[in-house]
Amino acid sequence: MSISNLLLPAVLFFALGFLARVIRSDLRFPPDLAKVLSIYLLMAIGLHGGYELAKVDLVVALNSIMWALILGFSLPVIGYIALVATRKVNPMDAAAISAHYGSVSAGTFLTAIAYLDNINVSYETYPLIMLAVMESPAIIVGLILAARARQSLARESTVVSSGETAAIAADAGVNGGGAGFLALLRDAFTNGSVVILVGSMVIGAISTPSGMEKLFPFINDIFMGVLCLFLFEMGMVASRRISDFRKVGWVLGMFGIVMPLVGGVIGVYVGSNILGFSVGGATLVAVLGASASYIAVPPAMRLAVPEANPSFYLTLSLGITFPFNVIVGIPLYHTMAQALAG
Amino acid sequence: MVTLYPEKLLSIITNDSMEERIVGMFKKYGVSGYTIFRVGGAGSSGLETDMTGFDANILAKVIVPEERLGVLLDSIERKLRKGYHLTVYISDVQVITPEKFNQHLE
Repeated sequence: MSISNLLLPAVLFFALGFLARVIRSDLRFPPDLAKVLSIYLLMAIGLHGGYELAKVDLVVALNSIMWALILGFSLPVIGYIALVATRKVNPMDAAAISAHYGSVSAGTFLTAIAYLDNINVSYETYPLIMLAVMESPAIIVGLILAARARQSLARESTVVSSGETAAIAADAGVNGGGAGFLALLRDAFTNGSVVILVGSMVIGAISTPSGMEKLFPFINDIFMGVLCLFLFEMGMVASRRISDFRKVGWVLGMFGIVMPLVGGVIGVYVGSNILGFSVGGATLVAVLGASASYIAVPPAMRLAVPEANPSFYLTLSLGITFPFNVIVGIPLYHTMAQALAG
Repeated sequence: MVTLYPEKLLSIITNDSMEERIVGMFKKYGVSGYTIFRVGGAGSSGLETDMTGFDANILAKVIVPEERLGVLLDSIERKLRKGYHLTVYISDVQVITPEKFNQHLE
């Protein structure tokens, strides 16, 4: 893990974006640009993956999907237990935060791909399928954890019978945060990133090869440039978010670093030893385990767990975990994958 | 001289993920129309930068006759009890076409 690994244009632009906010530059990207860029990135990576899908072994693919589900369902539970044990957050915040850590960040995943490409390490297509699968399960776990917390909160406040709060908690417990569980399930599986990613993979897989080749300039040639632009803006977002650090505090801040390490270790083991991927593939699975969502999960948590404080999960995911993974995490997971491979 | 008629202006600031619910509430309780702005700011939910679209706020405005305000406020109160972050305020406004605000959306 040498410093030259960090001298990747995309990572340097992330640093530049971060710096621009620190020195209070008036630099501002047009509103919604990051959204546009992430639509492009998901579309390009989906088409690319779909094109490669023909070479995929069905048994390995199904096995990867199964393990993606296992990771997506178990990581938030680990995060929740750890957060509740710190006694620094209430169970509602713990449920919302841990849902972010079970889901994935496509931005981190793409940075890892740029990193692997840069050092000429090849990787399998399966982690991309896992990326699409892992967007949603953690949202469901977050909802279940929040519903449980809500019920026990309702019980507690009935015992102390503090009038108004008991009524509020009971009301919330009955109505499950006010949002129909089925509607939220539908939202979890039809969220924009999943539709773009899965849809593009299908299009990439069923399109004629000659038609796909015409798209190569769009999905391959300009890809790294767009990733630079995206990370440039994400650097500014992270810098802005981390200024909320005081509200989050040291214990939660540490969670934003320790949790990705735990997820990364589990991910690299699953990728390398259970799924038998190459070093590149195992690194990508580690990144899936380590990264925290900032696109799909926050709006879902705002609707389903309104009691949780959004500044906690957004600061952790965008301000701490995303920069940590981009700068320290990815090279580290790659080193771990190399060590496991022997 | 144009005659002016009193109406109530209800303003709600909340996260843009709530837009569908707020609009649903407006339709359910029979408002005549609404206007939504994308806005940024900071408050009890922390910073809402509106830099990226990941954390934008909306400001929803609706003009209603006073007698229809009650059901809307009841619905808002239920949302607040559930923990949703809404900043709500009501102001007195004057309009020149009161019949416009007596209609129902849809």
